[in-house]
Amino acid sequence: MNDQWTDRLSEYVDGELASGERTALEAHLTTCAACRGAARELRQVVARARALDNRAPKADLWPGVAKRIGAAKVADIRSRRRFSFSVPQLIAASIALILLSGSGMWLALGSRQTATRAPKPDAEWQVLNVSTGRTDAAIADLQDVFERNKSKLDTSTVRVVQQAFTTIDGAIAEARTALQADPSNAYLNLHLADTMRRKLELLRRVNAIATAQS
Amino acid sequence: MLTILTAAVLASLAPVQGETDTTFAVPAGASLSVNNFGGSIIVHGWTQNRVKVHAEHGSRGAIEVSLLGTTVTIKASSRHGAPSVVDFEITVPQDMALTLSGTYTEITVDGVRGAISAETVDGSVDVRGGSGNIMLHSIQGSVTLADATGRIEVNSVNESVELSNVSGQIKAETVNGDVSLDGIKSASVEATTINGDVEYEGTVSDGGTYSFNSHNGDIRVSIPEGANVTLSVATANGDIDPSFPLPLTATAGKHRYTFKLGSGSARMEVESFQGDIELRRPSEMQMRHKDKEKNNNRNHEEN
Repeated sequence: MNDQWTDRLSEYVDGELASGERTALEAHLTTCAACRGAARELRQVVARARALDNRAPKADLWPGVAKRIGAAKVADIRSRRRFSFSVPQLIAASIALILLSGSGMWLALGSRQTATRAPKPDAEWQVLNVSTGRTDAAIADLQDVFERNKSKLDTSTVRVVQQAFTTIDGAIAEARTALQADPSNAYLNLHLADTMRRKLELLRRVNAIATAQS
Repeated sequence: MLTILTAAVLASLAPVQGETDTTFAVPAGASLSVNNFGGSIIVHGWTQNRVKVHAEHGSRGAIEVSLLGTTVTIKASSRHGAPSVVDFEITVPQDMALTLSGTYTEITVDGVRGAISAETVDGSVDVRGGSGNIMLHSIQGSVTLADATGRIEVNSVNESVELSNVSGQIKAETVNGDVSLDGIKSASVEATTINGDVEYEGTVSDGGTYSFNSHNGDIRVSIPEGANVTLSVATANGDIDPSFPLPLTATAGKHRYTFKLGSGSARMEVESFQGDIELRRPSEMQMRHKDKEKNNNRNHEEN
């Protein structure tokens, strides 16, 4: 699903689209099952997010940010909870909501990440054991292909590519560590997913080059 | 007619002591495909409906030119053993679509107005001009694009990516290197690096979507006065440093903040895991560029 309306679904759900756009999108929804499903899930996420407690983060960047931007009435502003998700954000938000519900059922996330959480009797956040199952497996498969094909590439190219892999792996490890401390964080979930996608894309590209040179 | 043209082209390619020169007419709408294992590909645009090829190569090297349909194909080959290293300088009709590829190849293009695909493994890609689909890729070299418009996809792996005076739908990425976007006119921009800075100076159009992302680097984005944009800013370990007041509309966890400027019509995501996020006015970015240029010139003179 990646049509012109994909990134507008959140605005639609939030009631922020102009009437003409809303009409056009609703017409689109009658013919696009993927967008229809995404809109439905967005509504569920927003509805459930609104029901959550307003928890203060353990370490808050906001005071520093507020100081820089000269924001007034910080408390008032922050108390107005508004939830707006893009479709990629939905993926991460879904993880957090499923953790809260204690349900083991996942939304249909395609090849994106999944996560599990051990049950805990009290209400505190449990450290999330993020597993990115299918993506990890895909990366491992493509890494195997690269290992088999790298002899077809110049050694300097292999060195550069491996350096890039090391950079990306480092970023993935840092994102995972951050997620363990803050498992429900939408930004961190998306950042991990995006960084893993970068590695997948690079592996695919390098393998294609190696294959072309054989 | 095409057969005659092909024969004529091929007949003119008897190499003279490591050099090949030929010029031939091409039909309107013809495209050019060049593949060169090692060396360089330099392409210039001109107003004539002819292609002029100058190639320098070793004595074992050979140049093959053919015309299939409306595609002119130029290849470097070797009579014996390892592939030859060839330096091409090709002049083409300005609107000719280009597909340029190589392995150890530097690619340079200027003065053209058509679609461009350029891909190399070890070498830089430097393009000035172009419109329509423009796809530039290098693994080990930097990629630069200037004065172009269209659907643009530019990436490197181990070097920087630079776009200037470019308009259209833009996607720019690298792994180890900076992404610099300057003088951009676009309603759709995506710029990503893992280990490097991202810099954007350009329009923020109503209804547009903008995404700037780094893991280890800083991000500097210019927001024009009067822009209508919903800004989603996130950093795990860095600071957020705007040079103008931002009205907060929402927070998501302890890492992401949403600010709405004007009607909030455009959507912009600015995210760096380790780095700082600087939001600036265009004049501040331009001042910074000038200072940077001065420093570069000074360093250049000192060296």
